[in-house]
Amino acid sequence: MTTRPALGVTLRRTMAVLLLGLAALLTGPGAGRSLADDSLAAAPARPFVRGGYDDKPHVSGLFGRIAVGGYLEARAGWARQDGVTDELGIEVTRWNLLISTRLRDRVAIFSEIEFEDGGSEATVELAQVDIRFMPAFNTRAGILLLPLGRFNLAHDAPRNEMVTRPAEAEALLGVALAQPGLGVFGWIDRPGGARFSYEAYSVTGYHEGLIADSPEGTRLPAGRRNFEDRNASPAVVARIEWSPERRAGLGLSGYHGAYNIYRAGGLEVDERRDVSVAALDVEAPLGPTQWSGEVATVRVDLPPTLPGLFAGRQAGFYLMGAWRFGEDWIARMPGSSFTLAARVEAVDFDRDLAGDSMRALALGLNFRPLPETVVKFGFERGETRDRFNNLGAFARLRLGVASYF
Amino acid sequence: MGPEQQVNPAPVNRARVWSGRRWIAPGMVAGSVLLAFSAGCGRLLTTAPDAADVFDAPLAGLSPADLAAFLEGDEQFGKPFAISEGLGPIFNNVSCASCHSGDGRGRPENVLTRFSILGDLVPELGGPQLQDRAIPGAEAERLPANVETSRRLPPPVFGMGLMEAIPADSILSRADPADLDGDGVSGRPNLVSVPEFIPAHEPGGTAPALGRFGRKAQVSSLLLQTVNAYHQDIGITTDFRPDENVNPLASRPTEAADRVADPEIPASIVRSVVAYLRLLAPPAPGGSTPRREAGRALFATVGCVSCHVPVLRTGPNATPALANREVPLYSDLLLHDMGDGLADNRSDGDADGREWRTTPLWGLRIMRDFLNGQAFLLHDGRARSVEAAVLLHGGEAQVARDGFAGLAADQRAALLDFVESR
Repeated sequence: MTTRPALGVTLRRTMAVLLLGLAALLTGPGAGRSLADDSLAAAPARPFVRGGYDDKPHVSGLFGRIAVGGYLEARAGWARQDGVTDELGIEVTRWNLLISTRLRDRVAIFSEIEFEDGGSEATVELAQVDIRFMPAFNTRAGILLLPLGRFNLAHDAPRNEMVTRPAEAEALLGVALAQPGLGVFGWIDRPGGARFSYEAYSVTGYHEGLIADSPEGTRLPAGRRNFEDRNASPAVVARIEWSPERRAGLGLSGYHGAYNIYRAGGLEVDERRDVSVAALDVEAPLGPTQWSGEVATVRVDLPPTLPGLFAGRQAGFYLMGAWRFGEDWIARMPGSSFTLAARVEAVDFDRDLAGDSMRALALGLNFRPLPETVVKFGFERGETRDRFNNLGAFARLRLGVASYF
Repeated sequence: MGPEQQVNPAPVNRARVWSGRRWIAPGMVAGSVLLAFSAGCGRLLTTAPDAADVFDAPLAGLSPADLAAFLEGDEQFGKPFAISEGLGPIFNNVSCASCHSGDGRGRPENVLTRFSILGDLVPELGGPQLQDRAIPGAEAERLPANVETSRRLPPPVFGMGLMEAIPADSILSRADPADLDGDGVSGRPNLVSVPEFIPAHEPGGTAPALGRFGRKAQVSSLLLQTVNAYHQDIGITTDFRPDENVNPLASRPTEAADRVADPEIPASIVRSVVAYLRLLAPPAPGGSTPRREAGRALFATVGCVSCHVPVLRTGPNATPALANREVPLYSDLLLHDMGDGLADNRSDGDADGREWRTTPLWGLRIMRDFLNGQAFLLHDGRARSVEAAVLLHGGEAQVARDGFAGLAADQRAALLDFVESR
C-alpha cells in the first residue's frame, strides 16, 4: 500500500517536468509562430495524429463550413475455443458518423457518433472544440479521445490492418476510450520534418465499474464510460510524442486519477483509490513495411476487503507489422493495393497471479480497392489462462469490410 | 521506370503483362499458406479434449432437452457475479467455477473455513462458514474466538447426479456402525435435517435425509448444496434464501453495501445449475495394464475397498442416463473415523470431529491437468500426492494404511498407479 501514493507523486513530478520542458520548448527556437504564418489558416497540412481525429477523408476533403463523413465496419466471424465453435455470424460492428467544422480558422469542432450492433448502442465518442492560438498552444474541451496510447487516438477500422483491435488497447485500456475533459495541446515543428507534440487534459477518468462491474477481475474497460464524473474527482492524462518524420513517432502517455467515490456531501466516505496507467507507443517505417506497437502498464489501488480476486497490476503489449504491396496490380482499379499484416500481442490481466492472461498471433491479408476502403481477411490463434492458470486455446477466422465515407 | 517505359511504350499493355506476372508469386504464397493451413487445420483451429479427459462433459445418452438444460446450467455455473449484480456483501468467491477448477477440486487459495461451537453452527457469530471477502462498504468476517474450525477444499462436482441417484438403501446396507463384522471398519450414515425451502419431492428433501454431499456428508440434496453455495460462497440471494448473508459481528450494518434487490436470482437459475450438476459425467478411468491390475488386487487385499467401494449402482430414475447404471466412484458415501491426524474436532450433523465421508477416488487420473500439475488431496488439500494422503489415514483406515506402508516399493507403486488411473 505504501507504494501507491509514491506512484501518484511520481506521476505528478513527471507532469511537472513535462510542463517545464514544454515551457522551454515554447520559448525556444521555432516556437511561438504567429497565427498568420502557420498551417492554421487552412486545414493542417499535417494531422496532429496520423489517422487521428483530423486525419479523415471527409476532413482532408473539407469544403464549405461543415463536413460530414464517417465509416462503416462489418464483419463475419468464425471463432473456436478449445475445439468448440462458439461464434459464427455476421455483424455490422459499427457505423460511425463524423461531423466536423471550422469557424474562421480559429475554432475547430470534431464530433463522432458511434452506432454499434445495429444501432442498439449509440455513443458520442468524440465531441471536441478546439480553440487554436498557435501551433504550440491550443485548448480543447468536450468529449475527448484520451491520449492514452496511440491506438486510442487512431483506432478507426478502415485504418486498422487487422479485423480486430489489439487486446492491449481494447481489453486492457478500453479503446475506444472517450471521456469529457479539457486541456491543452500543441506541436512544435523542427527542421527536417520532425515534430514534437503534446496533449494534456483533465478528464472524468475511469470509474469504480472497473471493479464493481467486472466480475472476472480488474478490467479498466468496465470503468471507461464516465460521462458524468461519478466521483467528482477528475483524472489527468497526457501524452507527448516525438516524430522524426510523418510516418514515425515515439509516444509516451500517462494517466492518473481516483476511480472510486471516496468523498460525498463533503464527507470522506471511503479511502481514495487510484488508477495509474503508463503507455509507450511507437510507429516507424522499416523498408517496405510499416510497424506500430504499444506497451502499457496499469496499477490499481484495491479495496482491502477483496484480496486475491482483483488485480492491482496489469500489463500488455502489441507489435504489428504491415507490408503494402500490389499497388495497381488490378488494372481496372487504380489506387488499389494489398496488405500483409502480422500482429503479436499479450496481456497479463493480473501480474500478481499465475494465470488470467492471454497471448495471440494474428495474421491478415487485406485488399484495398481504394485507400479509404479495405476488405480484410484475418486469422488469429492464441491462448488464454484462467485464474487457475488452466490453458485454453482459441482460433478466429474473420472477414471484415471497413470503409470511410 | 525509365527503361521499362522504353521497352513497353504502351502503358496499357505493360499493365496487362505485369498484372499477370505479378499474380504468380502471391498466388504461390497464398497456395502454400492454404496448403499448410489445411494440413495443420486441427491444431491451428484448436482441438477439443476427449470428453473422457475433462470434468465438465455431460453424461452420455442425454436427450436434446437435457443437453439444452445442461448448457444453460453450465453457463450459470461459470457466470461470475459483479458487485453491481449482487455479489456479497460478504462472500468467498465470484462464481461456482471460481472454486472448482474445470469442475474439479479447488486449490488451497480457495479453501473455505467452516466453524461452529460443539455442533452449534453459530449463525449469530457468522457461522457456519467464514466469508473472508466483502464488497466495498461491507466488512468481511473475521474468525470469532473460541470456535472449532475446519478447512475445506472445494471438492469436484462431476458425477453428483449419479451419487444422488444411488438408492439410500444401497448405501445404508453397507453401514456397520457397531462393527458387527469385526473388520475394524464401521461406517455410518450422516442423517441430516432438511430446511423447509427444500421441497419434499426433491431428492434428499425428506428429513431425516441421508447426507451424501460434502466432506462430512452433511448435505442431502443437490438443490440445498447449490442454494447454500450461492448464499454463502457468493453472497447471492435466491427465491429459496432471499435474505442476505451478512456479517453479524460487523461494526456497522453491511446490508446497505449491496444495492441489488433481493432475491438476486430466481429459482429457475438455481434449478438450471442443479440440472447441470446432476448431468455432469465423471471422467473415464485409464486403460488397464498388468501393473494396474496388480495394483487393483493390492487395493483390495490391503483393505482399501472396505471404504473405497469400487462400484455402487443407481436405481430407477426419470433421467435414463442416470438410471440403473454402475457408478465407479470408489466410495461408500459413509462416515468413518479417520484418526487423530485428520480430525478437525468439529461435528457436522451426525458426523463427529474424527469422521469424514469416504472421498470418491474417481477423477484422480486427470486431477493434475486442472491444478497446474499439482495435487491437493484430503479435506483441506494438505496432501500433495496420493501416497501422502494414504499415509495420513488413521482410525478405521489404520490397518489399510499400515498394509500399504508395508508393501514392497514396486507393489506400492502399482497400487498408486491404479488409484491414480481412476
